Order: sequence, then structure tokens, then C-alpha cells
Amino acid sequence: MIIGIVGVPPWDMMQDYLRAGHSIIDLDEPVPDLPVQDVFLPNAYCSILKRVVSNIFGLRERGGLDLVLATVGECKCDGMRNIARWLENTTDIPVKQVRNGNMLGAGHPICDSGLPLPEKFERIVSSVYEPAPASLGPRLAPVEPVCGFWGVPPYDFDIASLFPDRTRVFGWTRCMENRTPADLDLECFVQPGLPTVFFTQSFCQKAALAFNLAKAHNGLFVEVDKRLTRSTAAKIQAFIEFNVQQEKTECRRTRPRA
Amino acid sequence: MPSQSKHTILLDCGTSYAKVHYCGTGRRRIIPARDIMRHPDRYRVAAATGHNAGVRTQTRVNELVALAHGGLALIPDKNFTLLDCGARDVKFVKVRNRKVRGMDWNTECGAFTGQVIELLARYFDMDTSSPSASTGRLPVVCGVLGMTAMFDRIAQGAPHEVAFSEFLRGIAFNCQTLVGRPDVLYLSGGLCKNHTFVNSFSCEVRTLGRYVLLDGLLRATDASQIK
Repeated sequence: MIIGIVGVPPWDMMQDYLRAGHSIIDLDEPVPDLPVQDVFLPNAYCSILKRVVSNIFGLRERGGLDLVLATVGECKCDGMRNIARWLENTTDIPVKQVRNGNMLGAGHPICDSGLPLPEKFERIVSSVYEPAPASLGPRLAPVEPVCGFWGVPPYDFDIASLFPDRTRVFGWTRCMENRTPADLDLECFVQPGLPTVFFTQSFCQKAALAFNLAKAHNGLFVEVDKRLTRSTAAKIQAFIEFNVQQEKTECRRTRPRA
Repeated sequence: MPSQSKHTILLDCGTSYAKVHYCGTGRRRIIPARDIMRHPDRYRVAAATGHNAGVRTQTRVNELVALAHGGLALIPDKNFTLLDCGARDVKFVKVRNRKVRGMDWNTECGAFTGQVIELLARYFDMDTSSPSASTGRLPVVCGVLGMTAMFDRIAQGAPHEVAFSEFLRGIAFNCQTLVGRPDVLYLSGGLCKNHTFVNSFSCEVRTLGRYVLLDGLLRATDASQIK
């Protein structure tokens, strides 16, 4: 059976499926040759959930999806709960709604490491249902951060290339690695005094947190719908240039894209 | 053209106009951006900023960074807010204790910025050195809706200069809202020369002219002066 997951379902449940010989695919992530379609949800809606739904319909049509493990509840935004109800009521796609209230932290070494931020995102997303490879261990030593990124893993990972390697990851991405997606205290934690970019997807409920945490911590609030825009890239570059102390070798003066 | 005749320049290449700083002499001039884009081989561009900075350049600095450096180079105040109204965008930086503490940039909707104001002023044959012809303000929810309201005012009998002034005051109001309504606002960009626009603000406006991003480029690319 091919099981598509949305969000962070309970770890033990996913391990049971894997041990039983089933395979897991992360529906939050891009699937090759499956474009994100706007026909399933309103225009003004979270891009990540648009991708989730496009993946569900696209994979189902290809015969590549047998069950959706839809994480709903406090461990996710409310969007998936509504989408799951719609899918259950109007399609033949099997959906199992699950909740993940785990509060036993597994740690967040990737968030605190000196890995480049794009790799941090990739590793954390992959760690949702499989442990990080042991060979990664030596690269996961904590480093003194120069900058912070707060938020969910973005729809467009290109944003990560704007940040220095010693960027510490906070917000729901930190909760993902910690396997405690419902831990709102951890989600709201940022390191005091650390220049931090508070990121939110447009139309995301977590924007309320990002907006007000940015104000409270003198950080930069950025909101991105699908692809990173030139102006948002420029804002992040300028924020880093004027607020982050970096070694010369680590400084990336990249171009804002048109 | 022989390579020895190439000028080394710093370039702020906006949508409509290019602001050029000649590195050898320090001379500056403003030319249509298309002239630079059509003849990139005439110059050696040491550093560039601006919407059309994609011409061959050794270093490209994004506009917000250039604006912030320009403000820090030109404004002695400990705290200040600097707004740049360009041909197609509006951007600002907020400095507190000589540190850049806030910024924003709207590149996507330039419908009510410099280029449109220039075109409308030309269309109405307005004297932009004159004071505002009205104390009223049109709601400029966006540029297109603002222009609709302006032409409605004209259709209702308002003189052109009154409707245009009210349109400008609506834009100025939006700009002040964007930057958080400071008592004093530094303004850069081509609209500094449009007195009707400058006088449309309800706060004190100190104009810095069109070379602020070039001053920022100078500061940003001089390693000894970068923070």
C-alpha cells in the first residue's frame, strides 16, 4: 500500500506501516511531474495545502495512492481538518484523520547545526518518518547561531539560500524535527536577541504568530504565497546585511530574482 | 568602441531613468535607462543597483541595501525614515540608533508611482512646481481605482488640477501609512522635484533628490566603510 502523509502523523503509527511493508510518500512535498493545480481550492488559500490536494488527486489518478494519513488538530493548521472532511464526503479517496499530541521531544540537532539552511529543511522534512542517517552525526554539532529562521518549511525552499549556514531554525519546523508538532510553547520559542526572520505562507493561520513574534523580537516578518518574490528576497537580504554579523566567507550577496 | 574609452561607472538603473556616477571624475548625470540597456558595451559597470541593474556589472546591490546605505551616508540623524518613490515601486527604510530596523518594498504594484504620476502630469499639462490645488484627498485603494476616482471627479466637474492634486494627496497619505506616519520623512527619487506631490504630505518632508541609491552604492561597495 502507498500511504500519503500530510503534516506529522504519530511516529509509531508510521513505523508500524513501514514495518508491514507499506511505503510512505510525503504529500506536502513536490511530486515530480505533478503540477500544483488551483482548481481544487479557492485562489486565496495556503499554497502548501493546494499542493497537498493536487498531489492527492494526481497520485490517485495514477494509481499511486491508497491511503491518506491526514494529520489534523492542534498539531497542524485547521486547514487539513476541513479538507479531510471534504475528501471523505465527496471522493473515493481513503482518508484517515490522525492527531499527534506527542510532547516527548526527540531533540532538534538539525535545527541547531551548521548545515546550510536548504539542507536543514530537506533533512527535517525527511526525518518525519525516517531517522536522520547516522553518517550525518558529525555534521550535527551545535553551532553558535548568527541568525534565525522561524516558521514552517516553506512551499518554495529557495528562500533558504538567502540565509547564512549558521541560521538556527525555530517555529513549527523545529517542532517537526522534535516530533512534537502540537507543542505551541516550542513553536513560539526564539532565541532572544538573535536577528530572526519570521516566515509565513500567505493565508496560513500561523501568520498571526509570525507577525506578532516578529514585532516582539524586532525581527523581520515576511509572507510568501508560492514563489519567493524579488521584493521579499531583497528584504531578507537587506535584513541580514544590516543585522547579522557574519564571517566574510559565509556572507552570500545573492541577487534578488525577478 | 575601443575599450580604453570605456567609462567606469556606478549605476542606478531604474525602470525609466538611469542615474550614472563616473568613478574617475565623480560627475553624475541622468539618462534614459534604455540608453544604457541598448549600449552596455560603452561602460564598465563597477557596481549597479535598480530594477534594470542586470546589465553587465561586477557587483550588484539590491535596492533596499543601496537605499539604506544611501540614507546612512546622507542623513546625519540618529533616527530617520527614508522613502524612495521610484518609477514603478515604493520602498522605505527605517533607521533607529543608526541601525536599519525596518524596511519594506512594493515591487509588484507600481500603478500609482512615479511613472504614472509623470505620465498624468504630462497628459494634464500640469505645472508640478505649483502647490497643491486642493486640500481634499481621493481614496487611492490601488492605482487603478485611484485613477478611476480621479476621472470621476473630473466628470463631476472638478478642475483637472484639483482632481490630480487630490489623487496625489491620496498617494501621499498611503505612503505615510506605509512608513508608519513619522513627523519627518526623508524622500528620494524623481518625485522630489514634483512640488505638488511633496506638498501633499501632512508631515515635514525633506527631499534628498535622485542620487541617494548612487550614494548608497558608493558606501556599500567601499569595503572600508561597510559596517
